[in-house]
Amino acid sequence: MLKYTIRRLLLLIPTLFFVALIVFSLAHAAPGSPFDAKSNENKPLPQATIERLNHLYGIDKPVWEQFALYLSNAIRFDFGSSFVRDRPVIEIIGQGFPYSAQLGVQALLVALMFSLPLGVISALRQNSIVDYASLLFATVGTTIPSFVIGIFAIYIFGVTLHLLPFVGWSTPSHWILPTAILSLGAMAFLTRITRASMLEAIRQDYVRTARSKGLGEQVVIVAHVMKIVGPATAGLITGSIIIEGLFSIPGIGRLFLTSIIQRDYPLIMGTYMLYAVLIAVANLVVDLTYGIVDPRIRFDR
Amino acid sequence: MATITTSPGQTRALELNILARKQRSLWRDAWFRLRRNKAAMVGLGVVAVFVVIAILAPFIAPRDPIQQTTANALADPFWGSPQYTNPEYPLGSDQLGRDILSRLIWSTRVSLWVGFIPVSLIFLIGVSVGMLAGYNGGWVDNLLMRITDVIYAFPDLLFLFIIMAMLRNTAAGNLGGGLVLMFVAIALVNWVGMARLVRGQVLSLKEREFIEAARAIGAKPRRIMVRHLFPNVLAPVIVSVAFGIPSAMLAEATLSFFGIGIKPPTPTWGVMINEGFVVFSTTPWPVLLPALCISIVMLAFTFVGDGLRDALDPRMKT
Repeated sequence: MLKYTIRRLLLLIPTLFFVALIVFSLAHAAPGSPFDAKSNENKPLPQATIERLNHLYGIDKPVWEQFALYLSNAIRFDFGSSFVRDRPVIEIIGQGFPYSAQLGVQALLVALMFSLPLGVISALRQNSIVDYASLLFATVGTTIPSFVIGIFAIYIFGVTLHLLPFVGWSTPSHWILPTAILSLGAMAFLTRITRASMLEAIRQDYVRTARSKGLGEQVVIVAHVMKIVGPATAGLITGSIIIEGLFSIPGIGRLFLTSIIQRDYPLIMGTYMLYAVLIAVANLVVDLTYGIVDPRIRFDR
Repeated sequence: MATITTSPGQTRALELNILARKQRSLWRDAWFRLRRNKAAMVGLGVVAVFVVIAILAPFIAPRDPIQQTTANALADPFWGSPQYTNPEYPLGSDQLGRDILSRLIWSTRVSLWVGFIPVSLIFLIGVSVGMLAGYNGGWVDNLLMRITDVIYAFPDLLFLFIIMAMLRNTAAGNLGGGLVLMFVAIALVNWVGMARLVRGQVLSLKEREFIEAARAIGAKPRRIMVRHLFPNVLAPVIVSVAFGIPSAMLAEATLSFFGIGIKPPTPTWGVMINEGFVVFSTTPWPVLLPALCISIVMLAFTFVGDGLRDALDPRMKT
């Protein structure tokens, strides 16, 4: 188990290297730079200024040299400065992160609060009306894209009823719509899984196996909750980008969106790598808890 | 009860009956199960209507979807307030005076292309690589697994965002108004999942007796793959394809909604939502109608996918 964990952690290094390489070359393969006259149509910059800016930010060097420089800086946690905002990437991300984290955690909590009881009830009363209703909800919630549900919700609660604000993140009432919409997908997914695991747990096989392995009751429960929450978290991480874009929340998801539109290479790299690490870690945690829960899964072949 | 004597003829008939029943193939069986599934049949009906609309778009769209008539901008749909409706625009018009009904109809075409072309690419690449990797093992398998490790580390939606945003202003990004790049990007991000699925299936199938038998009588690997392995991996592949279609459509809608998908003026539901969002708080229909279309089509495809999964593999039923 320990050996496996270490191997997986070590495997993260080449994986992240390739992710960085591909995203970096994609970003630089694109025509145009942030300082092109084209990207500032209203007030074109003189050619000499563009060249000086390119030189200042090192964009005039060959791409591989830029990449090597980027990597060597990144190892020392220096991710460069944003071209557009003229501040260190780390600082910008650090400012956006609390919003995204709050949104994500709130959504996860709301999702758990509703999906666990709903899943348990529909499993205990299989084929009842409650069961069918929650199944329908689960299908609709996982099928209809979140930005579409968001649009409907904005129309009903924001535009028509004037109940809730839908731009920004300033007051707690601004939190309600984005949190609710982001939680829907996870909620639907978790309801499905909870129902299925409850049905299985009624038969008790793997809970008994877990106990017979000598695991404490707490580990069994925590591991099972993790097994459910892990995949939902990965969905929440990417889902939050869309929600942040839709509701103009100043988190890292929106930073990512604006940075790719503004061709702000350092910020693109910074936000993308952060997402890659978050998702890799979420996947690792899921795989590890699977191993604790289900002894049939062997890590050493 | 007294013993029932059966004549040799009757026995023969019974045997024949049993034989006849056994001849019902897996596919026929699956079709019977699918037909009994109401949600799946409704979904299939909606999908059929959608396909017909897409094919007939030039004939049934009442107006040119990209023709702008600013004088007729922002007309209400026919159920809106009478003073703002215009009988020539049954579902209203957007802020540039384009007919929403016609735009919705033409959008089905793009959605259909985006649903089917990338998924066909994924099918072709995924199945061939997956079979080779699973059956032959060796370097193909090693390479596939390493590529998978890397691709799985890419959050797929983010990767699509980056590919589209970075390459859409190049020559390749302009082909077909961004459609070609969209096809390639979606296929690139998703073929690995299909290859993994097929590889796993082949790994377990190739140890089975019928493959061993085929090998024993000297069948070539190529023949084994095409004649014996392929039909047996088809069921899960079909299910995966059925779910791949709506997810490709969703990717297009999401990207277009954020303004980095298909290029205007080509109408797609995502583009319509993106453009209508400016006037959303005063005139919601240009946004709500395409959003409704997306919801209906996504639900329909999911119902079909769920139905196919239950029909092709009843054990997987939840």
